[in-house]
Amino acid sequence: MRELVKKLTEAFGPSGREDEIRNLILEEIKDHVDGYKVDKVGNILAWKGQGERKVLLDAHMDEIGVVVTNIDENGFLRIEPVGGVSPYTIFRKRIRFERVTGVIGIEGETPDEIEKNLSKMSFDKLYVDIGAKNREEAEKLAPIGSFGVYDSHFVEVSGRFVSKAMDDRIGCAVIVEVLKRVKNSDITLFASFSVQEEVGLVGASVVAYDIMPDEAIAVDVTDSADTPKAIKRHPMVLGKGPAIKVMDKASISDKNILEKLINTAEKKGIPYQMEVLIFGGTNAAVLQRTRYGIPSATVSIPTRYLHTPSEMVEPSDVEGTIELLASYLEGG
Amino acid sequence: MYLKELSEIPGVSGDEDKVRNFIRERIESKLDEIRIDRMGNLIGIKKGEKSNGRLLLVAHMDEVGLMVTKINDDGTLSFAPVGGVDPRVLPGKKVRVGEDKLGIVGYKAIHLQKSEEIKKPPSYENLRIYMGFSSKKEVEKEVEIGTYVSFLTKYTEENGRATGKAFDDRGGCSILMDIIDLNERYDFDVYFAFVVQEEVGLRGSAILMEQLHPDVALVLETTTAGDNPEIPEYQWATHLGDGPVITFAHRGYVADKRVFQVLIETAVKHGIPFQMKRRTAGGTDAGRLARRGRGVPAGVISIPARYIHSPLSIMDLGDYRNTFELVKKVVEDGKIMEEVSG
Repeated sequence: MRELVKKLTEAFGPSGREDEIRNLILEEIKDHVDGYKVDKVGNILAWKGQGERKVLLDAHMDEIGVVVTNIDENGFLRIEPVGGVSPYTIFRKRIRFERVTGVIGIEGETPDEIEKNLSKMSFDKLYVDIGAKNREEAEKLAPIGSFGVYDSHFVEVSGRFVSKAMDDRIGCAVIVEVLKRVKNSDITLFASFSVQEEVGLVGASVVAYDIMPDEAIAVDVTDSADTPKAIKRHPMVLGKGPAIKVMDKASISDKNILEKLINTAEKKGIPYQMEVLIFGGTNAAVLQRTRYGIPSATVSIPTRYLHTPSEMVEPSDVEGTIELLASYLEGG
Repeated sequence: MYLKELSEIPGVSGDEDKVRNFIRERIESKLDEIRIDRMGNLIGIKKGEKSNGRLLLVAHMDEVGLMVTKINDDGTLSFAPVGGVDPRVLPGKKVRVGEDKLGIVGYKAIHLQKSEEIKKPPSYENLRIYMGFSSKKEVEKEVEIGTYVSFLTKYTEENGRATGKAFDDRGGCSILMDIIDLNERYDFDVYFAFVVQEEVGLRGSAILMEQLHPDVALVLETTTAGDNPEIPEYQWATHLGDGPVITFAHRGYVADKRVFQVLIETAVKHGIPFQMKRRTAGGTDAGRLARRGRGVPAGVISIPARYIHSPLSIMDLGDYRNTFELVKKVVEDGKIMEEVSG
């Protein structure tokens, strides 16, 4: 699983530019499913099993990123966020475009001005230095409209996984593993790896239209509030297992699914934790509202430092999530 | 080009009847089928020779404006914006109240303002429309709560540039009408949708997908120039005179990569100048279409215009022509259909 997580998180795939990650996932799942397709907007939809009851597991394959909006005469790039990238997070980090890597700098003609720009940061004050000597050179390497992601690599620290894009490649990894493991199930399992979640749940809004499953479970990351002076009202921590989401800002999980998930965990002795997130949302919000409605819920992997180049997860939580979902689908 | 006529018709979001009638009368005889759906979107269909694909072209008929919220005892009207209108563009402007009544957005004369008052931007709480009446009773004969108020600007052309109201998005509507005027039949079906209520949240386009199930959608917009002299060039959104604008991403949606690339390739192939939309703020119907039904690969081509969402905008007529050329070539070449079916 470590290798899978490393491979998936290091892949390039900001919202709307999911080709690389899509191919990687297809490669991983194609021998373990009965069929798959890539739909009109670029979602992967795979299926396995012949049962009457249809269950959809969804993880989004896109990650947050930036896009080049302007280039000045000296070859410095201007960028805007694609999804929830904070200028405070990105400052002084490296950004990887498809052909070149750049460093983020900040404007300031005087120390006072730099101080001011640092305290009230905005993308308008930041630039990317890709080492280009002039506009022409920059336009060749990263033309306007080029997408970039954090330049960050997978590392294992004290047994924990750290990388960019755990949100939501860790969810993708979970579903890939579930597809591999689920064998004797009397349901039809659908798995979607959806696009453009980070800019507004685009892919998941349409992915279930034709299949209209009996239930849908989004597998995504959630805030882990076990760091110094973290959000007091959040109960989620690393190491206590998958988080079964009751509510976030965008959806409330279907009660029946919640109950069944909890029963499965109890029966199988899988450690789990309950989740209420006071902000944020997952694809469950739009899956729920597809056509005449799909009962939907979210199972989350607690993650520290969300939307940064170093998102941290605990492997036992990931393993627990796989186990919980696989048992759930096998009617356990 | 129907920009002049379209621009001068009032059609604030939810009140698009006059725009719809104008367009309908002129396109009806040139299409195979025409219908008005439940929200008021005008949909025209040109069947394809082979009819194995569906291309949807979309422009919105509505414009931003105002609505009367209260008739005050002194005969003035209080109002709210319909769509995004900066209150700073309103004081001292003539407006059309209801069908044909004239009003003026009042403001305190400069002589009576203290310097700190002048520095404070006006707000909807403080602005009133004056119609020349001095009592509530008189006004009530002419105006009701909920009466639409629209900008009142005559269209003019000078030095290759057009000025007028509502270019956003009568510019896009006019381009679609020009394409219809070509009276061409293509291999695939072409749906022309003139939609309502874009400015209040991409509402009209929300019901297109269930009706039309297109394979590709192309939204024709009129977009912010933002090339003001006080803004450094590297922060401009677009620039007048540099050609049609192609969008890679905007609020809530990253334009489909295949569609985005076909638009660029088509422009390059035919030597049509073009530019990128260089800010990602603001959204279009493309974002709504991609999220409805089975979804659709969508792209956006826009004509740049200065000062949109105000009583007066400026458009470069060369940009208009090049936008028309680009859309025409995209439809003629048909590569956009191949890309998404492949």
